[in-house]
Amino acid sequence: MDRTDVSKGYSIPSVLVSDRLLTGLTMGFLLAVLTFFMLYPVYDICRLSFFKEGILTLKNYAAYFTNPRMFRSLTNSVYVSIVTMVITTVLAFFFAYGLTRTTIPGKGLFYTISTFPLIAPSIIQGLALILLFGRNGLVTRYLLHTNWNIYGATGIIVAECLYCFPNALFILYTTLSAVDTRLDEAAQSLGASALKTFYKVTLPSAKYGIASAAALVFNLTITDFGVPVVIGGNYSVLATEIYQQVIGMQRFDLGATISVVLLIPSVAAFLLNYYLTKKSYALISGQARPFLQPSRPFKKWAFTIYCWIPCIFILVVFVSVFLGSFVKTWPYDFSLTFRHYNFPSLGGHAPLWTNFWASVLKGEMQSILAYKYAPIWNSLWVSILVAIGGATLTLLTGYIVEKKRPKGDQVLYTLSVLPAAIPGTVMGLGYILAFNKPYFLIYGTFWIIIINIIICNFTLGVLSSIANLKQVDKSIEEAAVSLGANPITTFTRVVFPLTKTAFFSNMAFFFMRSMTTISAVIFLISAKVKLAAIEIIFLDIDGRTASANAMCTIIIVIVVGMLLVMRLITGKAGLKGMGAS
Amino acid sequence: MGRNLRLENLTKKFGTLVAVDRVNLEIEEGEFICFLGPSGCGKTTVLRMITGFEAVTEGHVIFDGKVINDLIPQKREFGIVFQSYALFPNMTVEENIAFGLRVRKMAKKAIADRVDQMLDLVGLRDWRNLYPAQLSGGQQQRVALVRALAPNPQVLLLDEPLSALDAKIRVRLRAEVKRLQQELKKTMIYVTHDQEEALSIADRVVVMETGQFRQVGKPIDIYKSPASSFVADFVGTSNFFKGIRTDDRVRTEKREFRVSKSAPFSKEEVFLAIRPEKTEVFKYGEPPGHLDPLNLVAGRIDVVTFLGAAVRLVINMDGEEVISDVIEKEFEQRQLKQGDEVLLYFPPEAFIVYPAKEGS
Repeated sequence: MDRTDVSKGYSIPSVLVSDRLLTGLTMGFLLAVLTFFMLYPVYDICRLSFFKEGILTLKNYAAYFTNPRMFRSLTNSVYVSIVTMVITTVLAFFFAYGLTRTTIPGKGLFYTISTFPLIAPSIIQGLALILLFGRNGLVTRYLLHTNWNIYGATGIIVAECLYCFPNALFILYTTLSAVDTRLDEAAQSLGASALKTFYKVTLPSAKYGIASAAALVFNLTITDFGVPVVIGGNYSVLATEIYQQVIGMQRFDLGATISVVLLIPSVAAFLLNYYLTKKSYALISGQARPFLQPSRPFKKWAFTIYCWIPCIFILVVFVSVFLGSFVKTWPYDFSLTFRHYNFPSLGGHAPLWTNFWASVLKGEMQSILAYKYAPIWNSLWVSILVAIGGATLTLLTGYIVEKKRPKGDQVLYTLSVLPAAIPGTVMGLGYILAFNKPYFLIYGTFWIIIINIIICNFTLGVLSSIANLKQVDKSIEEAAVSLGANPITTFTRVVFPLTKTAFFSNMAFFFMRSMTTISAVIFLISAKVKLAAIEIIFLDIDGRTASANAMCTIIIVIVVGMLLVMRLITGKAGLKGMGAS
Repeated sequence: MGRNLRLENLTKKFGTLVAVDRVNLEIEEGEFICFLGPSGCGKTTVLRMITGFEAVTEGHVIFDGKVINDLIPQKREFGIVFQSYALFPNMTVEENIAFGLRVRKMAKKAIADRVDQMLDLVGLRDWRNLYPAQLSGGQQQRVALVRALAPNPQVLLLDEPLSALDAKIRVRLRAEVKRLQQELKKTMIYVTHDQEEALSIADRVVVMETGQFRQVGKPIDIYKSPASSFVADFVGTSNFFKGIRTDDRVRTEKREFRVSKSAPFSKEEVFLAIRPEKTEVFKYGEPPGHLDPLNLVAGRIDVVTFLGAAVRLVINMDGEEVISDVIEKEFEQRQLKQGDEVLLYFPPEAFIVYPAKEGS
């Protein structure tokens, strides 16, 4: 065997492929991106709220807290968030209990239905409630002939409960299915009654999971914009108040001040959730393989009925919005029509798309497809880029934090989990403040929107990448290196193929978030750049509720289509484990 | 002189913990070296410093006359076989073996030939298109072995390669590794905590404890003349007695033994070590007359364990437990059984004497 025949072949200079250099460069790039596109906007908000003409002052805060109308947005926000938190956590806990600890039939169906709210913008809950219980609601006006309607706190709470349900369920489901059921059996064998076992064993062992789900629901509710904006009516909350001050009154300083006020409870809830999730996972025993004894008939029936209740609510939401987009005049004339899909002229223009359809089609179809559907095309295009960019950046971040562990990796980790703590509206306002300057050429283009959505959803992408990379044995990488592969080959030929499924499901997550997000990007759209999810709000504000339903339906169809494609590619359900955490 | 690998005052510190403490060794080309020691003794750390995955704190790794401390692992041309096999699960057997050749951009034909050659080496030609998950543990480790050999590395490093396998396959593969090493005349460095494995395959064994090399030598020398009580205890099984030495006698707590005069230590406080197979066991009252009565001790058989060709007895001598291995034939002939009162004989020349100060 000749030694020289195999010992050459390094065509790239070794300096370029030096592992440490490459890791350092990638980490530097990621740190720069997160600092510039996350910390800097938040810093700008704080600066604007604390400084007036260069002087440190609390004038803005004094203005906020002494104006009863504005101050009410804080108490309102806290009120609806706490009520939503309690209701959702309790509902989701027993739902999760039914799915993990009883032998009810149809668990897969329940689970699937409960994830539906994730594939639509949060606004869909509001739209559906208006269709059913609004001023012209099917139930309120048509069936009960009452003047009562759901606008205000009640509407927000019901809608947020539905929106937060799957997110709370994911955490509680994981907690309950991981806690060793043998503990329950042991308690019962020692003579404890079923109720006593539940209070003394099941509940305490799931306490961290319950608290972490509650903190997450609080965070999601207090930061949500879509639901209160359509169903809140005059009931103002922090997220809508920021928008009101900035876009309505051009009071950027007050908007920034309210943002800081909103940051405090949302960061607190995030930290609590983060801390409790870690604690909760520490309790999970690795080999707890639950074996379930058949539940007694009463328990089985009770839980089956119980699980159907939230599922029916969720189905009613989707069916209402779907139907609402096809009937002539809800709730008076239920004859079917497509005319709500012919949106009022939104003045949109999408590169490529508009030119293509304008040249191919003539007449009405041309105006519908080329111009009126431009926001949909924009959303799709943005979402594809967000999916690719987001999944790639979070995989790289996860790889560096989990496998490379260079000096300062904890800084990168902290920065990359932080976005979940920052409300979308705050991030959106921060982007205006930080980047609305002539020399930031990306401002007012698609690119700022793409970057914003990636950053806002960075946390979950990184956490799921890390979880997946943990499963790749370190020596597999070392084997590749010892066989002579440079860091790039090692990553592309060995590490990436092993994390491909996770990468695709991250792509699906980013795509879904991008198609449905409202709160941050509503500050970043412009006359030229419009997005489908945002158009729902404008259509609704214009009183074109049916077209808002139609736009919502189109978004859902696109998301479902993408999930089906992903399922074909990976052979796995794209939704598993994809709730915000 | 061939391409030797030399470790010079090699040291690794993790913070204040010294994992490897100024070790020195010269490994000749084509030699089969085994690092043997209990877990946490630093043997894997030495190996990882040689591979380049662990940075050297002090000292040098020298290969072929050049210091390679700062050479990146890819450039060292050292093959590695991992305890967890570390086969690429997304590639077939063939692709796994070809990996190291492809990254070197070898010609397709040359790669195919080399892969065939490697598959033949371990008799896995028919398995070439399977994925690692479809193979047994033993087959996976064979693939890992030839995958590391395929690029024709200068040195092959094996990190506890067999410890994840069950006993029978371990012994078979051990022989196969030895055969490959002799056929290819490749320098191999093998890390294990299994003393039987180390003694049976290595040209030289390095016994490690707490980051230091305690003894380096041929397997037979290590077994027959362990340089310290640690080595005597770790390599094989030994019985130990602590005592005071005067001339050819050692006074222990309960009795006195005669030892061989040629024992090299003249210190007062000593440890006596004796291998279980060096002792002899007789039924009480029937010892052959020519034995030194001083080294005959009465006891009772507490435990009998069949090891196959030998029988291991735990003998209680007035509260002191001694392990004694008797070949099965003798055990039968002398009609020994549990609970028997026996006489235990310790031949003076079988005792190894260590100064007691070296630590326990």
